[in-house]
Amino acid sequence: MKAVYINPFLNAAYNVIKDVAGLEARKGELRLESSPIKGNEVNVVIGVTGDLTGQIIFCLTEETALVLASKMLFALATDTFDELAKSAIGELGNMIIGNAVTELAGKGYICDLTPPALFIGRNVTVSTAAAQFLVIPFEMDIGKLDINVALQESAPEDREEF
Amino acid sequence: MKAVKVDKLVPGMILAQDVLIPRTAVTLLPSNAVLTVEMIRRIASFNINEVFIAELQKSEEEKAEERLAPVMAQAHENAVNAVREIVTNPEDRLLEEPIIAGLVGELLEHVKMDASLFLNLTHLKTYDNYLFSHSVNVSILALLIGEQLNYSSEELNQIGVAALLHDIGMLKIPMEITHKAGTLTPEEYDEIRKHPIFGEEFLAANNMSKDIRAVAAQHHERFDGSGYPNKLKGSDINYKARIVALADVYDACISERPYRERITPQEALRIIVADQKLYDPQLLKVFISTMAVYPIGSLVKLNTGEIGKVIKVRNKQPFRPVVQIHFDREEKLLEEPVRLDLSDEANHLLFIKGTLSTSEHKRAMDEIEKRPKK
Repeated sequence: MKAVYINPFLNAAYNVIKDVAGLEARKGELRLESSPIKGNEVNVVIGVTGDLTGQIIFCLTEETALVLASKMLFALATDTFDELAKSAIGELGNMIIGNAVTELAGKGYICDLTPPALFIGRNVTVSTAAAQFLVIPFEMDIGKLDINVALQESAPEDREEF
Repeated sequence: MKAVKVDKLVPGMILAQDVLIPRTAVTLLPSNAVLTVEMIRRIASFNINEVFIAELQKSEEEKAEERLAPVMAQAHENAVNAVREIVTNPEDRLLEEPIIAGLVGELLEHVKMDASLFLNLTHLKTYDNYLFSHSVNVSILALLIGEQLNYSSEELNQIGVAALLHDIGMLKIPMEITHKAGTLTPEEYDEIRKHPIFGEEFLAANNMSKDIRAVAAQHHERFDGSGYPNKLKGSDINYKARIVALADVYDACISERPYRERITPQEALRIIVADQKLYDPQLLKVFISTMAVYPIGSLVKLNTGEIGKVIKVRNKQPFRPVVQIHFDREEKLLEEPVRLDLSDEANHLLFIKGTLSTSEHKRAMDEIEKRPKK
């Protein structure tokens, strides 16, 4: 995986978390892991198609998700991870990837996304097409957010030719 | 059909002709395609200058809204006029529960028809006396909260009437005070604080039922005991008065007053949440989820730069309301607004980046309201 298409995700995650939750996210050491991705309690899966294909998966604990969601929902601490909190986390994923895709387009990678799908439960595993995926760990004062990026460049013959 | 420069394209517009890749006969996008962010990006990436856009096609939902809008506006205006009639002509003996209940019945019918359309009307600038439109707006908001609480139609009617009459005591406060543009002196403020008592006396003299009197008497009491006139606390405050307190504060915030500009809907929610100890926590939750993250009337900026007004909020999708795009990405006012449903899957690459600040909101609203009607 090339830095040129990883950096947009780093920037987007940092900026969106700062904008919507007012939190400073610190990036940890990137590492490569092998498929499948083992999820956390709350997992947001977004598919990428176009010049890049694969999945982006956000994983976090329910506690962290709840705090993030409540920050997006007027600091009204929701005590349970309810529908409203779920829609907030899905939207957070959408915002981060949406920002990243915009930046990617500027670098010549035109991609489309699937709407975010939320998976709840500790035992979620996601098998990715790519054998390896990159983990971008973010540390916030309220907990951790791992962004797993399993992307590959579409083979030239697979690219949509216009 | 009209030619539109690529940087003026807005998602939701429909292509009137095929878009070809320059200097080729290869179709990039077919006619009738509904433009998404992604498509606009592709068009731009080929350095295409302008494309032909069809006259906007309207969805069934949008057509229904257009048919309903004047009906709703009329109902709102009628209600405001009726309230004025009732409270300013005491000798006509219109201040009777059945008459007010009939009025509230009509409001409720319209809330049920399309609550979003009706809520949009509460954002209209009040050129008229604030008290009357405020009474109607608070009644609409209280009915909405009541609906969320699964109130019976009888209970809904009670809260609607109570909300409609909650500020009636204000009529006994001298106009020089209620219409004063500057800050009030402590003496004048003391005078204002008598309106709940005046209201209760007035309603008792007109044989109104207990809850209706209690709402007038207690809508300025606060959950933590910091309100007036009796510093009542928590469950000692009438339940309906606790509901009306929220509706009252919210509508007061979003209305223009002689001494300040209107506050944006989202800022109003923030103000209420920042002081959450003042309100019944359970009711506050219901209220916030009813108004959602971007309440009706909010001006929001999309990630692509366009600015639009929230006109409809869908249940369970608080982050994906229906917006009316009024400004393009260069913040130029569009000739006519474009409706954009963010809950539509075709628009999933779009999201709301934030709301306008109070001063930006005012400027934008002035521009929208002054736009010549086609």
